[in-house]
Amino acid sequence: MIRLSLLQFRAQVVSAVITMVVYAAVLAATGPHLASMYTADGVGCHGGCHGGAAADYFTGSLIRTPYLVLYLLSVGIILLAPAVIGLFWGAPLIARELETGTDALAWNQSVTRTRWLAVKLTTGVVTAMAVTEALCLMQSWWAAPIGRAVGDGASGTVLAQGRFTQLVFDTHGVTPLGYAAFAFTLGVTAGAVIRRTIPAMAVTLAIFAALQVAMPLWIRPNLAPADHTVLSVASLGGVAEAQSGPGGTSFTLTALSVPGQPGAWLLSSGPVNAAGQATSSTPAACTSVGTAGSGVGGKESSNGPVPGAPSFVGCLASHSIRETITYQPASRYWRFQATETGIYLALALVLAGYCFRRLSRHLS
Amino acid sequence: MNAVITASGLGKRYRRTWALRDCTLTIPDGHVIGLVGPNGAGKTTLLRLATGMLTPTRGTITVLGARPAAGPAQLARVGFVAQDTPVYARMTVADHLRLGAWLNPGWDGTLARQRIGQLGLDPKQRAGSLSGGQRAQLALTLALAKRPELLILDEPVAALDPLARREFLQGLMEAVAGHGLSVVLSSHLVADLERVCDYLIVLVASQVRVAGDAGELLASHHRLSGPRRAPGTMPAGQEVITESHTDKQSNLLVRTDGPVLDPAWTVKPVSLEDLVLAYMSRAASQTPTARPQLGVVS
Repeated sequence: MIRLSLLQFRAQVVSAVITMVVYAAVLAATGPHLASMYTADGVGCHGGCHGGAAADYFTGSLIRTPYLVLYLLSVGIILLAPAVIGLFWGAPLIARELETGTDALAWNQSVTRTRWLAVKLTTGVVTAMAVTEALCLMQSWWAAPIGRAVGDGASGTVLAQGRFTQLVFDTHGVTPLGYAAFAFTLGVTAGAVIRRTIPAMAVTLAIFAALQVAMPLWIRPNLAPADHTVLSVASLGGVAEAQSGPGGTSFTLTALSVPGQPGAWLLSSGPVNAAGQATSSTPAACTSVGTAGSGVGGKESSNGPVPGAPSFVGCLASHSIRETITYQPASRYWRFQATETGIYLALALVLAGYCFRRLSRHLS
Repeated sequence: MNAVITASGLGKRYRRTWALRDCTLTIPDGHVIGLVGPNGAGKTTLLRLATGMLTPTRGTITVLGARPAAGPAQLARVGFVAQDTPVYARMTVADHLRLGAWLNPGWDGTLARQRIGQLGLDPKQRAGSLSGGQRAQLALTLALAKRPELLILDEPVAALDPLARREFLQGLMEAVAGHGLSVVLSSHLVADLERVCDYLIVLVASQVRVAGDAGELLASHHRLSGPRRAPGTMPAGQEVITESHTDKQSNLLVRTDGPVLDPAWTVKPVSLEDLVLAYMSRAASQTPTARPQLGVVS
């Protein structure tokens, strides 16, 4: 049965290998140059180097090179790989047999349907996980200089994102293993339920995409209880501030990073008054202190209060306005990775169990 | 004589409609059994239940003394060629034989290669590019080479041209003669069955209308024509299957175990096709309940 499974899986394996070879070739051809740019920019120093400005310069300069496109493509392929696998490998696995009537051929050999499915699922899941993780490892190697620059404090561009951002979290570590296993079994299940390949593919894509959006937005932040901290607004390294309303009577103040917690995942932030309650009304004394010259508008400041000038943030600080920040510390990265992967693997197991039940009892 | 298939109160429902309802029958072994009936009689459903492709909604079905598709051993004992003789379009003929060899411990590779050779199929050809007749032959080869005790074929020749149909049935008969397996073959074309079947079951609306050895059925049915006779006045022992009357004449198809002695009748033999059509067109309410069905094994 394993040999048959491999025989019937040949086309998929060939296409996967071609994809991986092309992917590897492109990355291998450009990776060394990217790494040399990283050292040339001087951010690759070892031991006690905190070249935040140099790291910023490195990632900033990459934006203007084809490496930006290459980076987004390489990440995009990893994000898409599980979906493609679910659609084109998972969905047809049972649905195609039912559509072409070959189920009668496959399930009337001296092999039970349970064993047939067990072997087919295992082959598919293992291949899906291997392919996705291989892409991840290649990308991690290629993008290592960018990762180190981010570690050195680069921020503010699409290339300088923390490990908790969706683009990075979803394409690194072990999460892609979970996505691949889940997407494949989701496709198989959709095919078994809907019994037609194309609609099963559509449903697979819809469910997988919905989950991939819901996960980072609503589920992932709650996988571990978040930490809270209340800080002086003056101590914030970077803020986005805005005043609004007649005469600038209301304001917002959003932290851009968690002070003293490099690499932490900032979930939410906002100003609180002396009593510790969330506030949005500007202290009367501060309404005349504009954020960007005018009373109404907004500006982003990453350098904190401008020395010498009457600063809005400084005024807030002197009126007991503090900033509360909800975040996940960087040290929880692997815990989040493991939890999320576990969730997807568990979902895959549940779906697989359902497929076995359906195949042995209800199908056709 | 043992039974290859026994069904009791067997039913299969799809959502609200019953594809097969309250079907009770026994199919004896050692025969080539023709299962004939109009479209929608439940033939395909019955055969898919017998192979375990479907599970019954009601009732029970036993194949070779066990539950269909109960395990690898049971699967090995039953060969199945489904409607439209499906094969994997993208796999080559040789791949199909490999599939058979990998998945069946009792695989007869010699038989498979011989048949493919006789049929003149190119092992490297993809099954998708085979003609309908060749595809059917490939499906039959797969089913035969696993060396089953019972071979079930669901309308295997329905889509084939007359020549391919004859070649297919010929191949089937050779295999039956060579390996002594029981065969259940469904069709709505009596002419096909006449050629190969020695036992006939007429299934209409899930019910067995008549079942028996083909020779015995032919010997016990007669077409009578003569002066008009009022319906219901036939002697005991002569069961009227169909009747048609004009002002002056009556035409009957009767079943009797003894000879027809009334000199008023002109007695003619019936063909299997006439017989099957007579039972198929006969209204369900006329099916006798008191009289045991000829040849049905208890």
